Amino acid sequence: MTASKPAPSSLGLRLSERAGGELRLILDGRLAAIEDGRLAILSYLEPLALDPLVINRLEVVFEEIVSNIVRHGFTPGSGQSIAVRLAVRPNAVVLTVEDDGIAFNPLDAPEPAPLTSLETAPLGGLGIALMRKLAADVRYETPSWAPDAAFKPTNRLTVAIATAA
Amino acid sequence: MEMRVSEIDGVKKVSLLGRLDALGADVVETQFSGAIAPSGVSTIVDLSELTFLASLGVRMFISTARALSWRGAKLVMYGARPAVAEIIETMGFGDIVPLVGSEAEALALVAG
Repeated sequence: MTASKPAPSSLGLRLSERAGGELRLILDGRLAAIEDGRLAILSYLEPLALDPLVINRLEVVFEEIVSNIVRHGFTPGSGQSIAVRLAVRPNAVVLTVEDDGIAFNPLDAPEPAPLTSLETAPLGGLGIALMRKLAADVRYETPSWAPDAAFKPTNRLTVAIATAA
Repeated sequence: MEMRVSEIDGVKKVSLLGRLDALGADVVETQFSGAIAPSGVSTIVDLSELTFLASLGVRMFISTARALSWRGAKLVMYGARPAVAEIIETMGFGDIVPLVGSEAEALALVAG
């Protein structure tokens, strides 16, 4: 199945298409692109009528991954990109995010200290910890690409969000 | 993202409306901590119109609640929608900044 539609007029989305049963997006390196990506994802998943809590988990995971890349992985004004794929599987939605920013494996990040008191609560690393708790599965790879590839990602993160209890 | 501040019997009430995502936190964080932390007044935060919460919003709550605690005051949240409540519970964040159901419960907790 191949069905594409032109990218919306929003500046944050460089590409939005549905191909091979997946949603594919290319986001620019601004925080505002997260909202454009989120709306494209919601529109894609709407016919499935998923549990609103499942949709929220996916939105939070998407937000944490992309905001982390934009805030920590990219050089402002560099024109770097984030490629997003979303696929629906029998018991999960699978989000794959590739970016060409600084190489970073979030699975290597240390677990933040537990939130046991206001005095000791960490203010960093919360997003990665939250993503890992909400996901059924998280995998990190260093992608390979052809020498003449237009997009040469340094990170690929694949996250499954369970859709069935 | 919008924020409203009022007062109930000497307790500050802050209502957050909209999405507390990365962009929302950028918009409201300075305003939120500026309205609450320097006053040293115990504060209840109405989350009933908050439709989304992610880690940058949680960080905002923790840093503001910490600054209030240094002044001997409390921050209590109430009225979270199920999706927001699930994120608070998943992070274990309600253990250090209490989340209760109603405004009356929140007021009772800051008074206690």
